Amino acid sequence: MENGFIQTDDLKKYYRMNTVGVKALDGITIDIPRGAFAVIMGPSGSGKSTLLNLIGGLDWPTSGSIFVDGEEIEALDETELAAYRRNKVGFVFQSFNLISSMSAEENVGFPLRFAGVQAAQRKQRAREKLEEVGLADRMTHKPTELSGGEQQRVAIARALINNPVLILADEPTGNLDTTSGLSVMHTLADLQKSGKTIVVATHDPRMLSFATQTIYLLDGKQVSEETYHQTIEQLSWEGTN
Amino acid sequence: MRFSDLISLIVANLSRRKGRVLLTAIGVMIGTAAVVTLVSLGAGLQKAATESLWGISDLSSIMVYPTYGGEMGGMVMIGGSQQEQQDAVLLTPSKISEIEALPGVERVIIQDYLSVGTEIKLDKLSSWGNIQGVSVSDLKEMNLAASQGTTELGMGKIIVGAYVNRNFYDPNQRYDEGPIDPPDLMGKILNVTLIKWNEEGGETRRTYRMEVAGVLQETRGEADYSMYMTLDEITRWNEWGRGQRINREKEGYNQVIVKAESPQIVLDVADQITGLGLQAYTPQSMVQGINSFFTTMQVIFGGIGAISLLVAAIGIANTMTMSILERTREIGIMKAIGATNNNILAIFLGEASGIGFVGGVGGSILGWGASKLINIFSASYLASQASAQGYMGNTMLATVTPFWLPIFAIVFATIVGLISGLYPSLNAATLVPVSALKYE
Repeated sequence: MENGFIQTDDLKKYYRMNTVGVKALDGITIDIPRGAFAVIMGPSGSGKSTLLNLIGGLDWPTSGSIFVDGEEIEALDETELAAYRRNKVGFVFQSFNLISSMSAEENVGFPLRFAGVQAAQRKQRAREKLEEVGLADRMTHKPTELSGGEQQRVAIARALINNPVLILADEPTGNLDTTSGLSVMHTLADLQKSGKTIVVATHDPRMLSFATQTIYLLDGKQVSEETYHQTIEQLSWEGTN
Repeated sequence: MRFSDLISLIVANLSRRKGRVLLTAIGVMIGTAAVVTLVSLGAGLQKAATESLWGISDLSSIMVYPTYGGEMGGMVMIGGSQQEQQDAVLLTPSKISEIEALPGVERVIIQDYLSVGTEIKLDKLSSWGNIQGVSVSDLKEMNLAASQGTTELGMGKIIVGAYVNRNFYDPNQRYDEGPIDPPDLMGKILNVTLIKWNEEGGETRRTYRMEVAGVLQETRGEADYSMYMTLDEITRWNEWGRGQRINREKEGYNQVIVKAESPQIVLDVADQITGLGLQAYTPQSMVQGINSFFTTMQVIFGGIGAISLLVAAIGIANTMTMSILERTREIGIMKAIGATNNNILAIFLGEASGIGFVGGVGGSILGWGASKLINIFSASYLASQASAQGYMGNTMLATVTPFWLPIFAIVFATIVGLISGLYPSLNAATLVPVSALKYE
């Protein structure tokens, strides 16, 4: 695996919540190689979703730099950023974020509208992707007619429709039962094997068995595996006493 | 994003909120219908006014009057314009020759009014009237036609307008008796008595027996209540009234009618006459004035309708704001999958314009229908009024919807929608994707 596919340098994201200043990310420097299955581990509020959003160009850092596939993300203007999200990145969210009025097929083909792809081609490619994730018989179903696992697989199909090099998944198993969660993990692992770079933000330890690289975050700071486990144990012990 | 995809997405988005879209569009519909109906009403009134003017006027004639010097007399009004104050310019024979020499002038007809006290009698009936002398031998030259008798003038002959007989009354009639039937004047002898008073108040009368040689057709104008004689005879009567000869080179005539060679050059000829320092009025300049008045009226009417559209615009803005709030997460999703700010702006502006368009189409149909309905009711009302007054003219349409009006109304309503949606759509387009995705 070649180094430097995703690189951040002293990445900071501060914001104010009411009158309180929050350091969501505080000096994160990471290097994820192309083709990696990187897992960002951390409890709620540790900054893992923020890091994912910054890598995906959904938010802007307070300071520091992010390079993805040689492109400096924070230097892109709004149109370039939209092109980056459309062509290079596929997002998978915890709450699926499907559009309720659209069928599975329409949801999967939706990003292609913004890429200027014709309707017939959109339909064909969406069907192919849904078949790949095992939902050939759910094409015309609306999200409310699908189970959580099926919805997440539709979301994965949508993330793949533009054939991106990078898949960013934010707590993809958070709203799923054990079996569905495991199925999603295997799907992501298969994608990594096909050459895509996968970055997953999660606190689900099962995901670690698929990881080629793990980044531990606590309170917006990157920590070692040892520190992370010690702190988590400490927090668990305090919580039970 | 392809334009066809944008349209299909806008249609799909509007279709999934049918109830709300329809309710908002009804506001636009009412506003547009008000604009269409009121402007149609204005256009109808304008058409009725100008058509009735065309009907009563000879389009190739110009009424020319002398200009009297002085503060107000020096103002020469043509189609609302003013010329500088100047000295008196009279309609003397030499001035009339100048007018006759102007290019485009076919002929000049001198018109003079009787300026002596008058009594007109037919047996025991009395009347009054506007008696004028004209310098033509046949009133056909003034585009007047006879319904009875002739239009040819001659000594001792008088030709009367269509409604002159309505001015006759019985001076001995009791107050509780109804009005008399208008007499048939054709071929009758009218005793026209001229009356003048000396400085001591002594009265002198002279009676002329005038035969009614013709009755004119209805013109719905001044001619209907006028009596026509030769210019020579009226001049003699006026000279008797004054007790001296009238020197036209010094006093000029009261007015002349200038006939242009064609209606197309009337305004040019009128301008040339104005250039001679005289006052010139044409029916066309009146039509221009009327058109200008009604255009202003239509703008005012349209403005009143536009107030309803303004209220509807606020409704659209409100609907779009609510819609964007509800769909904030959807906006976040669209941005996450690659939509640009312009894509989002186009989608929401398109939806707002779509509401305006739907309202505009509905409002145009509604306004057009309302205009037709007004025509049906006004036609029956006017017909009943006309028959009650014994007048059987054609009843005109109360409203006229020009072909461009519904198109304009639809475009206008769409633009109103677009403008109303501008602020909420800009807000939507500039949302930070991550904030939009987190919106609950």
